[in-house]
Amino acid sequence: MDKADTAFILASAGLVLLMTPGLALFYGGMVRGKNVLGTIMQSFFMIALISIEWVYLGYSMSFGPDVAGVIGDLSWFALNGVGNAPSPDYATTIPQTVFMIYQCMFAIITPALITGAFAERVRFVPFLVFALLWTILVYNPVCHWVWAKGGWLAQMGVLDFAGGLVVHVTCGAAALAAVLVVGPRRGYGRTSFMPHNLPMTLMGTGLLWFGWFGFNGGSALAANEVAATAFVSTHLAGMAGMFMWVLMERFVMGNATTLGAASGAIAGLATITPAAGFVGPNAAIVIGFLAGVICFLAVRLKSRLKFDDSLDVVGIHGVGGIVGTLCLGIFASTQVNPAGVDGLLAGNSAQLVKQAIGVLVVGGYTLVVSWILLKVIDSVMGLRLTEEDEVTGLDSVEHSETAYNHQ
Amino acid sequence: MNTGDTAFMLIATAMVMLMTPGLALFYGGLVRSKNVLATTMQSFVCLGLISMLWVVYGYSLAFGPDVGHFIGNLDHAFLKGVGLEPGPYSATIPSLLFCAFQLMFAIITPALITGAFAERMKFTAFLAFTILWSTLVYLPVCHWVWGQEGWLFKMGALDFAGGTVIHINSGAAALVAALVLGKRKGYGRDSMHPHNLPMTVLGAGLLWFGWFGFNAGSALGASPIAVLALFTTQVATGAGALAWVIAEWKVQGKPTTLGAASGALAGLVAITPGAGFVSPVSAIIMGGVAGVLCYLAVLAKSKLGYDDSLDVVGVHGVGGIWGALATGIFASSVVNPAGNGLLNGNPHQLVVQAIGVGSTIAYSVVVTFILLKVIDVIIGLRVSSDDETQGLDLTQHSEVGYNL
Repeated sequence: MDKADTAFILASAGLVLLMTPGLALFYGGMVRGKNVLGTIMQSFFMIALISIEWVYLGYSMSFGPDVAGVIGDLSWFALNGVGNAPSPDYATTIPQTVFMIYQCMFAIITPALITGAFAERVRFVPFLVFALLWTILVYNPVCHWVWAKGGWLAQMGVLDFAGGLVVHVTCGAAALAAVLVVGPRRGYGRTSFMPHNLPMTLMGTGLLWFGWFGFNGGSALAANEVAATAFVSTHLAGMAGMFMWVLMERFVMGNATTLGAASGAIAGLATITPAAGFVGPNAAIVIGFLAGVICFLAVRLKSRLKFDDSLDVVGIHGVGGIVGTLCLGIFASTQVNPAGVDGLLAGNSAQLVKQAIGVLVVGGYTLVVSWILLKVIDSVMGLRLTEEDEVTGLDSVEHSETAYNHQ
Repeated sequence: MNTGDTAFMLIATAMVMLMTPGLALFYGGLVRSKNVLATTMQSFVCLGLISMLWVVYGYSLAFGPDVGHFIGNLDHAFLKGVGLEPGPYSATIPSLLFCAFQLMFAIITPALITGAFAERMKFTAFLAFTILWSTLVYLPVCHWVWGQEGWLFKMGALDFAGGTVIHINSGAAALVAALVLGKRKGYGRDSMHPHNLPMTVLGAGLLWFGWFGFNAGSALGASPIAVLALFTTQVATGAGALAWVIAEWKVQGKPTTLGAASGALAGLVAITPGAGFVSPVSAIIMGGVAGVLCYLAVLAKSKLGYDDSLDVVGVHGVGGIWGALATGIFASSVVNPAGNGLLNGNPHQLVVQAIGVGSTIAYSVVVTFILLKVIDVIIGLRVSSDDETQGLDLTQHSEVGYNL
């Protein structure tokens, strides 16, 4: 066991946990004041729900002994056999408990990310059922395919450094399914849905950016050169995303907005995630710029299509995850990471094909399963608030609280 | 390469990054609500702008091969040659990580200045100023103090984590900016109370947290000096907050939360240059004196009549000057073999520190003044009077902070 690696991954796990409260603030500030608590709760409560799921099912399904390349078996139920000795297969220099809890933080934030798509209109209990089933039927298998020893996409050579496929493409595809099944908010396109507290959103952005260093840097699973590479590409892509989004806004719409700066940063960060440890600083900047342009256009397209992806999960995480996963196949270089691969620009076109297959498989599987899940839950319990409750707001209807009580 | 040092510096770098969003909240809470987003944005956008500049030429000018002890050359433009091997500035961690750590310092420095011209500067003028100021002021001064061939470094000036490079530098620029831009409309007549103090206190908390990465990380390794710097940072900050609150209580009758936050910041600023060079007891004195001095400086501002809106001069300028000089007084080779100060029989150190302070102030004041004047002529620094009344959020960014 290496103490330095252990120290680093413990701190990184703390950083990734902080991203979920950060996301809660990011989303919370963007909704109307009557729905801020309901929105925050959908992220916050994942810390409880998914952590339990992870201990009893998730970790074993994701990383347990492989069954046919598709899923882990349940022999690690309740962390049976998962001790402080390093695992022979994953993160071999740190206690397996540390690897387990680090991965748990990724499983927590992924369903929380989806909630932005159906903000301000879904009931709490059906949402919890969805999040739990989705994690079991989508997150755990995809995590196994991509990251587990024996996972079929991993064996095929599909790469994902820190979760472009596992986290961002899955949440983006699920968000698309949710937008289609749940439908728009009442009054969408007619009335104004101005963010109620943008400073809160910016605070969330800052915390997400900070936590992302643990998310991507920590995915090296050791305090080594790859961690340094991933850390630097993360920061540079976040910056380039912000830069480009703000620039696009300024030329297309006239003014650079703070919401644009925040969205651009998150787009850059999401896009670099799959590639972070495989590309150098200058490639990371290019990837960030691409994110700023493409995600910006995707979000604008949404308004044209009248899809109510309320907080732009599809446009930012889905599109960003796809672009980043493909960019890995273009910009990866073994000069940067000798343990990685070469991409198209280094003369290896096969990797790009593999990455494209990864996107299609993960995106397609997630879209179909999420759609079925949502339809079933809707017919059994009903996903949406009644019209009257939606007008009153999630906070008082679902949680009997109000966020702001000025005196 | 040492994995322990690398682990520590990865985390420290992330913590320093968090200081800029922390500062955005600290400043954002202090302005009127019609300007909260613009104020936040001025800090936030530095994360984008300065990172870009740092990769293209900033790192190279600050830490590249020396030209005349004044500036680095362009050998490392686009991070050429900055790789994963340890480098001249970082014997035990990848050079790229050292480069990232230093980048976070370059980001927060221009963000600090924005407090001086809050609520009245055009966004485009601000962007132009930030790019030019970082290029013409931050990078040279950083090279003088921290570059291995920089003239202040060679002279023996001690600046552990950026008292001169960051705080005196931004404080001096802030004074010039407050004078050149002039007061906010209605300053001294209308109420300009902070619109959201809990936000400011949260920002102060994040700054305090991030500052452990800032100061302890400046040891560039998980070493005993890092432990010392973390400890001196903590006690100086506590002393600064206490001293400010007590002074306020005596003079104005009530201890305020804003006073506690400002005092903590004053203590943090003052200990920055000395964090790894002084003992914990000296750190308490440095922080406590900073709390009182900076409080008096902020009080004096109202008498002198310039509108340094969020007290950059009083806290960062005065605190930075005091800290740099105090390092020359309290430095002790018992805690760090790097040097002794006045109290340990080396008055020469205090002279060197004073030269560092004087030259940084002089250079920063002159160049900042010229820059602002030029930008004023070409773009215009201030928003129109109508726009100022409406607020920067709406006029500069087409947004409003709150729809409660």
